[in-house]
Amino acid sequence: MNQILLSIIKKEFWHILRDPQTLVIILLMPILMLFLFGYAITLEMKDITTVIIDHSKTPHSRQFIEKIRSTDFFNITGFNIPESQIEDIFFRRQARCVLVIPSDFASDLQTEMRTKIQLIIDASDPNAANFINNYFAQLSMRYNNENNPRLAMPFSVEPRIFYNPDLKSDYFFVPGLIAVLILLISALLTSIAIVREKEIGTMEQILVSPVHPVQIIIGKVIPYTILGFIDSILILLVGHFWFGVPVIGSIVFLLFALVIYILTGLSFGLMISTITDSQQMAMMAALLSTILPTIMLSGFIFPIKSMPLIFQYVSKIVPATHFLEIIRGIMLKGNTLLDLKVQLGYLFGLAGLLILVSVRKFSTKLE
Amino acid sequence: MHRILYLIQKEFRQILRQRAYLGLIFIMPFLQIVVLGFAITTDVKNVPITIVDEDHSAMSRRLVDAFSVTQSFDFQGLSQSSNQAKEVMKRGLVKLILHIPPDFEKDLKNNVHPKVQAIVDGVDGNTAGIALAYVNQIAVKLQQEWYSEMGLHPEELLEVHLTEVETRMAYNAALESVNNIVPGILAVLLMAVTAFLTGMSIVREKEIGTLEQLMVTPIQNIELVLGKVVPMLVVAFLLFNVGMLGAGLIFGLWMKGNLFSLYLMLVFFCLSTLGLGIFASTIAKTQQQAMFIAWFFMVFAILLSGFFVPIENMPDFIQMITYLNPVRYFMVVIREIYLKGTEIQFLWKEGLAMLVFGLVTFISASLRFHKRLN
Amino acid sequence: MTNSGYTVHVENLTRMFGTFKAVDNVSFQVKPGEIFGFLGANGAGKTTTIRMLCGLLLPTSGKAIVAGYDVYKDTEAIKRHIGYMAQRFSLYEDLTVRENIEFYGGVYGLNRKQIKTKTAELLDYLKLWEHADKLTASLPLGWKQRMALSTALLHNPDLIFLDEPTSGVDPESRRNFWMLIYELSEQGKTIFVTTHFMDEAEYCHRLSIMRDGKIVELDKPQSLKQKYKADTMQDVFMKVVQKVEA
Repeated sequence: MNQILLSIIKKEFWHILRDPQTLVIILLMPILMLFLFGYAITLEMKDITTVIIDHSKTPHSRQFIEKIRSTDFFNITGFNIPESQIEDIFFRRQARCVLVIPSDFASDLQTEMRTKIQLIIDASDPNAANFINNYFAQLSMRYNNENNPRLAMPFSVEPRIFYNPDLKSDYFFVPGLIAVLILLISALLTSIAIVREKEIGTMEQILVSPVHPVQIIIGKVIPYTILGFIDSILILLVGHFWFGVPVIGSIVFLLFALVIYILTGLSFGLMISTITDSQQMAMMAALLSTILPTIMLSGFIFPIKSMPLIFQYVSKIVPATHFLEIIRGIMLKGNTLLDLKVQLGYLFGLAGLLILVSVRKFSTKLE
Repeated sequence: MHRILYLIQKEFRQILRQRAYLGLIFIMPFLQIVVLGFAITTDVKNVPITIVDEDHSAMSRRLVDAFSVTQSFDFQGLSQSSNQAKEVMKRGLVKLILHIPPDFEKDLKNNVHPKVQAIVDGVDGNTAGIALAYVNQIAVKLQQEWYSEMGLHPEELLEVHLTEVETRMAYNAALESVNNIVPGILAVLLMAVTAFLTGMSIVREKEIGTLEQLMVTPIQNIELVLGKVVPMLVVAFLLFNVGMLGAGLIFGLWMKGNLFSLYLMLVFFCLSTLGLGIFASTIAKTQQQAMFIAWFFMVFAILLSGFFVPIENMPDFIQMITYLNPVRYFMVVIREIYLKGTEIQFLWKEGLAMLVFGLVTFISASLRFHKRLN
Repeated sequence: MTNSGYTVHVENLTRMFGTFKAVDNVSFQVKPGEIFGFLGANGAGKTTTIRMLCGLLLPTSGKAIVAGYDVYKDTEAIKRHIGYMAQRFSLYEDLTVRENIEFYGGVYGLNRKQIKTKTAELLDYLKLWEHADKLTASLPLGWKQRMALSTALLHNPDLIFLDEPTSGVDPESRRNFWMLIYELSEQGKTIFVTTHFMDEAEYCHRLSIMRDGKIVELDKPQSLKQKYKADTMQDVFMKVVQKVEA
């Protein structure tokens, strides 16, 4: 029994090692992607192209403009253009926003309690528009505080930020990328594992030998788990040492959780492999059923809480959703097993269920 | 030249015979637009919050009320102590803690200016920043209300001078994420069909041996390539229109600009993606390899196109890389034409970039595509 | 046509794959109207030779003139004058019989009217009228092979390359297929066929036996049998192999 399992595992390893091209793809591609996207994905705006129209032309208005110049958020690409050209500016994409300081700005500022400054934002990217709006709100608040020294609010809000005090995008996206890449790779790896042997006919040969379906499945899973594990350690090393994402919690626990997650991905791929008939179909199915949900519905980029209720439920099924909570929890918050038992339990249960279904599907196909 | 017609006819017969293709053309765009259009939203709302109220006064309750009625926050109930609240945050159940100190009301009345602490879970920096902005907004509103109630001296009031930014959101007044996402999806779908399916369909002929049979016929290279490309272009064009119709029917998002400008740009764009598809097919020996190559390029092309992440946000060297990504240009063009109705004369740079890129990839791919086995 | 009078003229043809010599210094000639056989085990270099002659592979060295054209320079001209049927069945399984014929007719530059008459002719000949609008995938393999041959003949070539045309086909269909080959030969066409079936080798006018990329025997089947004092080609083949190994 153990002998049989061992020879199946050995055979799988040979397959993997004899195909160095694929091996390189599997090991290097995720790291390359981590590098690329670790840098590329950041929602913080910088260099916001801005046009300022100053009708006031007073020391007051200049002081306000100076405030804008002094931050590195804005890149002023135009100054005092005629207002009729604003639409043209947007069409030419020379600016994301136009700030118009009215001519009575200075006089109003001395007599009125509130003085309005007009801001027009190209909101075709609503997320960016939101950011720009917030930046200007903050600017105006700072301006007010400086110019009204006696102004005392009845109470004040003192913000404190936990876990990621500098609000670094890397801290959020690098663990997320790890979760996404590992699932995609592990599901793809096994999705063709059985179907390929079916197609080239070697499965028939194995099936006439006294091997139990469970042994075949486990024999397939173990080598790929090891491969996936090596892959994830490489990715983790890059994430930690290159991008400087801390690991506050226990590393042992993190590795343990990784193994469970890899198992979940592999068993999902296996299930696809048992229910499809061709490699092409298997890969298509694996790609379609993993890429979209894992990137879009897991909270990788888009906050789950903001989605319509039905998609919030759907996101609960996606394994990456749970692993994202685990990996971010361990790395950034120092969560322990106790904090994450629900998420870990779900992944474990899902992996078990999927393997069970694969074995079932696989055995019934033989009869 | 009339050989091409037979190639095209054959390709269409094969497409029409495959149910999966038809499904792809008519169901995929709808499905993608519905799922992604509804699910992807970068707005931040329903941020789970707990409040530690150590004052239990009328004023502190007003503060609690203000935070529990808004759409921005999802009030999870009061916490007994600061430690309990932090524990709940650690387990990920809340993202924001508002801590009202004891004697809040007393201090307010005595003009001592009490401090309310807002603790935010910074893991998701984007959400955290926006959540803090929401906290400020609500606080400012309360502060203004309470000014008058607290009784500010009139001469003090005279000295208060505030600037206020009045924002107008052009082209998308309600800040609907859908408006931005849907044109992006259309661009991605176009690429998927033209690059991915073209590549796959050539590699498939390679694998089953029909390509070898074609190679010993007097067909010319260019005929073989065009015979593959034209049907895919037609499929992509159909799919694109179905997608536009879907966006209009489901989200009420109809195109603002000129349809024919968009079609012209579409052809330029597809030239480059079709070229990439043929190029991939000359490298890949098996469908599996083709899949891997396609997968890598798709993820690469989507994430570096400005679809989710504005390109200006990226570091300079990544921005340089994005210039090699044809989707980058089309993403700008389709959003501009779709949402702003931008005229084509403002988009000629992108159009030219796509045309040049397209011609180069298309021609070099066709040259690589030999009528010989390796 | 070349002045040599041979349909295929090969001298010292060699093809390397890396350091592996798939075809090693091969020379032979094929006369017009001949059924020329290539016998050999799998991997002996038969397919590589055929692919070079069809213009699918460039030779590493040596000379080859096919239907009067050089395989280095005039591959496109060669393709207009030959018919080729690959080892694997390679018509479109997801097209109907009629559509396949129409497609290849178009590819070979026939016009609509020619295609129509050709189709009718072929369907008559193959007795495939009732299956004309069925998917090719649904036909038995023997019929598919005959169909593949017929489509390879749509442009009426003088020289036909058949690479293991009968592998995987039942004996009955194989006999039918060879009857077709004889008919073609009687019409004056030159047939170049590879096989690993010994009985089929006997049907050829002349036969070359390949091993490890080299031609080790080339003669009429009858002469070979006399030379090796064997009753069947099977025996001839075994003896040739033993001689080479010794």
